[in-house]
Amino acid sequence: MSADVRIRSGREIACLALVAFVGLALSPTVLLGQEAAAQEQAGAEKEQAEAEKELPPRGGRPRDFRIPAKETFRLDNGLEVTMVPYGAVPKVNVQLVVRTGDIDEAADEVWLASLAGDLMQEGTATRSSEQLARDVASMGGQLSINVGADRTFVSTEVLSDFGQDAVALIADVARNAALPEGELERLKADRLRQLSIQRSQAQPIALEEFRRRMYPEHPYGRVFPTDEMLQAYTLDQVRGFYERNFGAVRSHLYVSGQFDGAEMREAIRAAFSGWEPGTPAVENIPEPTVGRAIYLIDRPGAPQSTIYMGLPVPDPSDDEYVPQLVTNSLLGGSFSSRITRNIREDKGYTYSPRSQLSTRYRDGYWLQTADVTTAVTGAALEEIFSEIDRLQREPPPEEELRGIQNFLAGIFVLQNSSRSAIIGQLAFLDLHGLSDEYLIGYVNRIYSVTPEEVQRIALEYLRDEDMLLVVVGDQSQIADQLAGFGEVTEVAP
Amino acid sequence: METRTLLARWAALGGVALSAACGGAADGPAGEQAALGEFRVPVEYYTLDNGLRVVLSPDHTAPTVTVAVYYNIGFRIEPRDRTGFAHLFEHMMFQGSRNLGKMEFIQLVQKNGGVMNGSTRFDFTNYFEIVPAHMLETMLWAEADRMKGLAVTQENLTNQQGVVKNEVKVNVLNQPYEGFPWLDMPQVANENWYNAHNFYGDLEDLDAATLEDVQAFFDQFYAPNNAVLAIVGDFEPDQAIEWIQQYFGDVPAVEGIEFPDITEPRQEKEKRSTKTYARATRPAIAIGYHMPERNTPEYWAMGLLDQILLQGDDSRMTELLVKAEGVTGDMQGGINSLGNMYNYDGPMLWMLWLFHDAETPADSILALIDEVIEDARTRPVDAETLARARVKARSALFGSIDAFFGFGRADLLASFAMFDDDPARINGIEEEFAAVTPELIQRTAQEYLRPTNRTILLVEPGADAQQAASAAGGAP
Repeated sequence: MSADVRIRSGREIACLALVAFVGLALSPTVLLGQEAAAQEQAGAEKEQAEAEKELPPRGGRPRDFRIPAKETFRLDNGLEVTMVPYGAVPKVNVQLVVRTGDIDEAADEVWLASLAGDLMQEGTATRSSEQLARDVASMGGQLSINVGADRTFVSTEVLSDFGQDAVALIADVARNAALPEGELERLKADRLRQLSIQRSQAQPIALEEFRRRMYPEHPYGRVFPTDEMLQAYTLDQVRGFYERNFGAVRSHLYVSGQFDGAEMREAIRAAFSGWEPGTPAVENIPEPTVGRAIYLIDRPGAPQSTIYMGLPVPDPSDDEYVPQLVTNSLLGGSFSSRITRNIREDKGYTYSPRSQLSTRYRDGYWLQTADVTTAVTGAALEEIFSEIDRLQREPPPEEELRGIQNFLAGIFVLQNSSRSAIIGQLAFLDLHGLSDEYLIGYVNRIYSVTPEEVQRIALEYLRDEDMLLVVVGDQSQIADQLAGFGEVTEVAP
Repeated sequence: METRTLLARWAALGGVALSAACGGAADGPAGEQAALGEFRVPVEYYTLDNGLRVVLSPDHTAPTVTVAVYYNIGFRIEPRDRTGFAHLFEHMMFQGSRNLGKMEFIQLVQKNGGVMNGSTRFDFTNYFEIVPAHMLETMLWAEADRMKGLAVTQENLTNQQGVVKNEVKVNVLNQPYEGFPWLDMPQVANENWYNAHNFYGDLEDLDAATLEDVQAFFDQFYAPNNAVLAIVGDFEPDQAIEWIQQYFGDVPAVEGIEFPDITEPRQEKEKRSTKTYARATRPAIAIGYHMPERNTPEYWAMGLLDQILLQGDDSRMTELLVKAEGVTGDMQGGINSLGNMYNYDGPMLWMLWLFHDAETPADSILALIDEVIEDARTRPVDAETLARARVKARSALFGSIDAFFGFGRADLLASFAMFDDDPARINGIEEEFAAVTPELIQRTAQEYLRPTNRTILLVEPGADAQQAASAAGGAP
C-alpha cells in the first residue's frame, strides 16, 4: 500500500526517477534480453545444486524493439517541433517545453517563475479563466503549467478528436496570457499556504537545506522563498518575467499519441507561426560546493530521521554519465540494489531508500535518500557508507552487474513506451544537447560498462570525504549518532 | 462559445475512421482502433477448473507484457486484533516461495529487464510485473509458484514488520497531516468495523503478527478460486493460455472461503469530528458521502456528478471555492481515494478535501460547499455541462486504461472479472454514462448528497506546528 494521497504541489521539489530519462532516435532496432536468458539459466543451475528446486523457464527469444519514429521540423520563428505517432488509445499529449524556470529567478525572486505559471492559467486575451478551464475540459484534458529548475512545461493530454484544438489552446496560453491583476493576491495566498505546508514536511526541509549548501549563490540552491518575499511580488514583476522568458526561440513543442500528421502539422503552423521569437535562454551553470559537511535540522519527536546525502557528479552531456547510471542502479537506485537490500530487506531500517542521479543543465549530483527509524540513524548511515566503500574496494561480480544492465535495458523500453514517457525522453535529450546517437547507442553503452569501470566510478565520484549530509530528525536522539561521521552543524528549523 | 463548437465537432467526428498511420500498432489485432469513437479493448476470458479466472488483452504497441495477479482480499477484511495485516501479508509474498527464496522473485524480474510491485486496496491485493514480452512464461511460473505456497521464516517476518512500520512512519506518523484524509475518513464515516478500522495498522498490532497468522491468512484467502490473472501486452493468447494451464492448473482450490458482512447502514444523521495534528500548519476540511451501490443507475450518475462538481479546473467546486472565493488553492477528491470508481467492491465514499487558512472559518467554507451541493440537488444539470462531464469521464477512462504501461488496463480487467465476473464491461462503460439523464443526476444528488449522508472531518493545526511555522517563516 502506498500513500497515494499527498499534499499536492505545483512545484518540482524532488526528482524521484530511479534512472534519468534518455531520449529517442530514428527507429533503430534494439535487441534485448539474450543476456537475461543466459544469466537466468546460470543462476538457476546454481540454485538446483543447493536444493531440489524447480528451475524458472528461461523465456523465449527476445523481440526487436523499435524506438517510435518521430517527425521534427522548425518554424521560421525558431520554434522546434517534434511529433511522435504512438499508441492504441485515442488520446494525444501536447507539451510546450520552454527553457525557463527557477534558473531565471534572481535571489529575491524565488517562486516568481511558479507564480507566473499560476497566473498564465487565469485566461488569455480572448478567453476568461473560466472559459479556458471549460475549453480544455471539453477536450477531455486539463491545462498544466509545471515550473522546474530549467524548464517550464505547458501541457495537456486530450482525446484525439481535439488534438489540434489542444495545440491552439496551448499556443494561446503561451503567447497571449492575460495575467489578470485581480487574481494575483489569491494566487499568492495559495502559494503561501503551500509553502507553509511544505515547510512542515521532513523531505522538503531536507531538500531545501541540501540544495542551499550545495548551491549557495545559485538559483538551484533556492528551494523556498520567505513569506515576505512571496507576499511582495507585484504584477509588474510577474509580467516582466513572462515577457522576458517566453518566446519561440527557446521553446520546443512535442506532440505524441494518435493524430493525423498532416492536419497536426498545419494546426501547429497556424497556432505558433506568429509567436515572437523572444530571446534565447541564458546559460547560468552553477559551481557547486564540494566537501564533507553534516547539517542537522531538529524535528522534535520525529519517529524517523530523513537523510539526504550526496555530492556533485558529471551531468548527462558527459561520457561518464551512462557508467554512472549503471553504478547508481547497482548501488542504491533499484529494488535489488545493494543499499536497498542492506538497509531495507536485511535490516528493516527503512521503507523506501533510493539513490538517484539528479540532473539539471550542465549540472548533476548523486543523491541517496532514506527515512530511517530514529534509533538506527547512525547505524543506517554506517551501512550506506559501507556499501559505497565496498564498491570502491572491489569490482562487482559480473553476474550482479549483468543483472543491472538487463534491468536498465528493460527500463529503456518502458522509457520509450508511453505518450508522456516518449516526450520526457526527447525533452531530456534536447535539454542536455544530446543527439539521436545517444539513444541509438544507449543499450550498447549500458552493456559495455565493466565491473572495473563501476569500481572506478565509485572511487572517482562517490568520495566519502566529500559527501554532503543533511539529516532532519529528533536532535536529542540523533546528535550523538551523527557525531562519528564528522563535525555536525545544527541548523535552526 | 468555444465549448459548444468543440462539442459539436466531437459528435460529428464520432464515427470517422482514423487513418492507419495514427495507430502506432500496425500489427495489432484487426479492428482494435477502427474508429475514434469506437475504441475497444480486446478481451478474452477463461475460468480454469480450479476456479482461477483469466483475462487476456493483447496490445502489440510495445514488446512488453504486464502480468497481474489479483487476490480478492483487501484491507477491509483482516483479523480484528491484527490491523494492517492484509498489507503486511502483501510484503510477505515477496519473501520467498517454494522455488524462489528471499529477494529471488524481485531479482528474477529485475535482471530480466522488468519492474514489479504489489499493493493492498479496499477489496483486493495485487501483484504485478511489467517485463520484456519474451519473459511471459517465466513470470507466469513465478506467480504460480507463490500462489502454491510461501516458504518464509521468522527472520523474514521480523524484517518486514520493520519495513512496514517504517512505511507507516514515512507515510503517516512523520507527515504533518498524518492519515488525513485517506486513513482518517473511513474510520469516522463508517459504522461497520471492517470499513472503519486503521487499514495501515497500529504499530502494536503489526508487532503482534506471527508466522501462524501468515500461514492461516494464506490458507484462507490465497487460492486460485479467489484470484484473477490478467495479462496485457505483446503476447499470443493461445500460447499464454497453454502456459497458464501448465503452471496454474494444478494449484488446488480452497473450499468454503468465507467473507464477513461489510455492509454499512444507511446514514441518517450528519457526523462531524475534529482532529488536531501537532505538525499541521494550516486547517483542513474533508467531507465524505456514502456512495450508491456499484453498478446501479445512481452509481453512474455519481460518476458524472464527480466530474461536474469536483474534477478539474472547470468543476463547480473549483469555480466557486478556488477561483471566485479564493478559500483554497486546490479542491481534491473523488470516488475511492485509493483507486478509481471501478476498482472496488463494497461500501465506498465520495470524498472531497481542501486546505485553507486559519482566517477563513471552516463554517464559511462549508456554506460554500453546501451552495454547490444544494444547487445540484435542486436544479437539473444543463446540457452543456452534462456533455462536458461525459467527455471528461471518457478521457479519464482512457487514461486509466493507458496508465503505467499496460498495468492500468490489467487493473480494470481484473477488477471487472473479480467483482462482476465480466471483464468485457470495460467496453460498455461509455454506454452507462450515456444513459444518465439530468433527472437521474438530480435524484441521485437528492438522496446521496443529502447532509445527513455525510461526515465532516476538520483538522486543526497543533500548537507545536504553529510555533515551528512562524520560526521557519522568519528564516532567511
